[in-house]
Amino acid sequence: MSAPHPRPDADSAAAESAAGRNRPRRREGAAWVFLSPWLLGAAVLTLTPMLVSLYLSFTEYDLFTAPKWVGLDNYVHMFTSDPRYWRSAVNTLLYVLVAVPLQLALALAVALALNSIGRGKGFYRSAFYAPSLLGASMSIALVWRALFNDGGTVDDLLSTFGIDMGGWVNQPGWALLVVALLTIWQFGAPMVIFLAGLQQVPHELYEAAEVDGAGRVRRFLSVTLPMLSPVLFFNLVLQTIQAFQVFTPAFTVSGGRGGPADSTLFYTLYLYDRGFTASHMGYAAAMAWVLLVVIGIVTALLFRSSRSWVFYNDKG
Amino acid sequence: MRQKPPRASEPTTAGKLPVVITSLLLLCGLLAGCGAKADGAPGGKIELQFSWWGNADRAEVTNEAVELFERRNPGIEVQTSFSSYNSYIQKLATQAAGGNAPDVMQLDYRQISQYASAGLLLDLDDRPSISTGEVTSAMLRTGQANGEQYAIPMGRTSQVMVYDSARWQRAGVPEPEFGWTWRDWSRAMRQLGEATDRTGATDPGWSEDWFEVWLRGRGKSLYTDRGGLNYDAADLARFWRTTNELSQRGAVSPARQTTQIDGSAANMPFGRGNALSGFTWDSAVGGFQALIGDSLRLAPLPVGPDGTPGQYFKPSMLVGVSADSPHPEAASKLVDFLINDPRAGEILGVSRGLPVNRTIREKITPSLTGLDERIAEFQESLDGELLAPPSAPPQGDLALQTAFQRDYDHVGFELQSPRKTAEQFLTNARSELQR
Repeated sequence: MSAPHPRPDADSAAAESAAGRNRPRRREGAAWVFLSPWLLGAAVLTLTPMLVSLYLSFTEYDLFTAPKWVGLDNYVHMFTSDPRYWRSAVNTLLYVLVAVPLQLALALAVALALNSIGRGKGFYRSAFYAPSLLGASMSIALVWRALFNDGGTVDDLLSTFGIDMGGWVNQPGWALLVVALLTIWQFGAPMVIFLAGLQQVPHELYEAAEVDGAGRVRRFLSVTLPMLSPVLFFNLVLQTIQAFQVFTPAFTVSGGRGGPADSTLFYTLYLYDRGFTASHMGYAAAMAWVLLVVIGIVTALLFRSSRSWVFYNDKG
Repeated sequence: MRQKPPRASEPTTAGKLPVVITSLLLLCGLLAGCGAKADGAPGGKIELQFSWWGNADRAEVTNEAVELFERRNPGIEVQTSFSSYNSYIQKLATQAAGGNAPDVMQLDYRQISQYASAGLLLDLDDRPSISTGEVTSAMLRTGQANGEQYAIPMGRTSQVMVYDSARWQRAGVPEPEFGWTWRDWSRAMRQLGEATDRTGATDPGWSEDWFEVWLRGRGKSLYTDRGGLNYDAADLARFWRTTNELSQRGAVSPARQTTQIDGSAANMPFGRGNALSGFTWDSAVGGFQALIGDSLRLAPLPVGPDGTPGQYFKPSMLVGVSADSPHPEAASKLVDFLINDPRAGEILGVSRGLPVNRTIREKITPSLTGLDERIAEFQESLDGELLAPPSAPPQGDLALQTAFQRDYDHVGFELQSPRKTAEQFLTNARSELQR
């Protein structure tokens, strides 16, 4: 159940339709014609399956026999008698808390560095962006597994310094970090957006701050961060939503089981396991809806908090 | 230089017409996609769908056999399709759920009870065109559910211990032979662990398959015939305690190696060269042969304390007919051909394990070479020594297999005692089998 990624201009559609009310109707008809393929697709391919999945979440359904209505049983079982469910929820939360802040910090740091160099910006930007293009693929996750495996490259490198760890992906305490590192390494998308944001900061502000005797750190804290806060907020929301849905790296790095000892059993991984391995499609659907609600709540909380720290320069 | 993020180009008035046309075409495409299916083959022929899992080698011989079948039955045309095991299992489930199961399908032992109880398989008992006289009754029973014959086994496989005989000899450890007990096995593991810089074996505690062999050696089994559990937490705790103690002593692989097992030979401690032996199915020995080389040998699994053998002959795969098939007679013909036709047997060879048809098996065995020959000899040495295979596992077993491996991680990394973990596994298993 992955939602299409919202784009920065997604909310401008609402503004346009509001403006459309005082436009001639002929133009509106054309808009509907253009929209129709998407609308049809959304209705048939997104909305209907979502409603079906909501229905299925109240049933016991194994794909083979007709869904059996069980009311809230799936939800009750999830919260009361499925220790692995809680394990997967805790893992996912941990992962979100570790990976998202680190990834954003790195993206911002690199964006700042790139913003201050003159030559070769295009090259570096592409170079740093490349991992994000590759990152969603199985192949990179496999490479990652090989790097951090017992006797892998990282293991060898550390051994030369006399640190003998014997691989990271096969130890319960470290495996989650390996998956998080893979995500952090793919900081390209937020970095590009930060870079765009940095270039929107008016130069006069820096000059004014300098005249007032602000140092580099001061300028960063008092000018860059506030001016960048909408972009930071946007990245934060987007990356948090994505992190909750992490699947591929964990699936690959752990050989599909979320091991060792369930340390990388993420929510989506367990959902997949319930649905496709154990044939509890109803239970999996219920899990998906709980995830949707949780992501919704977290996003709402982020929006609520944004009032106190995001600064929109409307008068600019 | 200011950089703007790229934006989708906005259609101008001039660009509108192509967009309208495109969207209309898209609409047509969407609607046509839900259109009717092509019905029947050309020339009034009966068309059969036949699907299986496997690799390109298996596909080549299967298609050759199918062509022969078509030549003999000019009125029937067979459409074949295949994919890898995991995607096949999921695809077949989805097809079956949508009422589009292929007429003839290759099935795994674990699918039989689920598919049969869902009414997806045709009862083959009253199909005169299928003869099963050449297949042993114990083997046939693996395709039965609720006393009806829903599938016919195609090949047989058995558990096997693969080991590196050169290194065993160098370590001065006697090579295993039929009738060695689990106690003998433990002793050998400890000796190998002490005498070499590797462990004696891949820790068998990770898999329900090896627990089952151990359990059967003690006169119990994973499931009753009715699909309930046929062992208790004490049994499982004992098994896990034994393997885990060996693991802690360096006699079998440590947890951080065991946890990497994902089914491929390359990620087994034995396949990686960290251990000197391992348990597997004889249909999967090829992967180890490629990694270990010529000193690879096959041995039977240990037997129980009173000499009861735990290993058994299992169908490597079965074949069944869809209950919804519009051509049950033609589909049955194809099943019979695949199982009993001597010429088909020659073409198919051991691509699906050793044939279950006695006559065909005896006929093709002399022509086998290399590893195929050794596997055939291994199976022959066990003929008549083993107990009947268990009936097909109940529906929840697939989930329990994964849970077994996950739970053993907790034992191996010493996060939980074997006893507590076993109790947890059993609790989970009971609820899984009820649902």
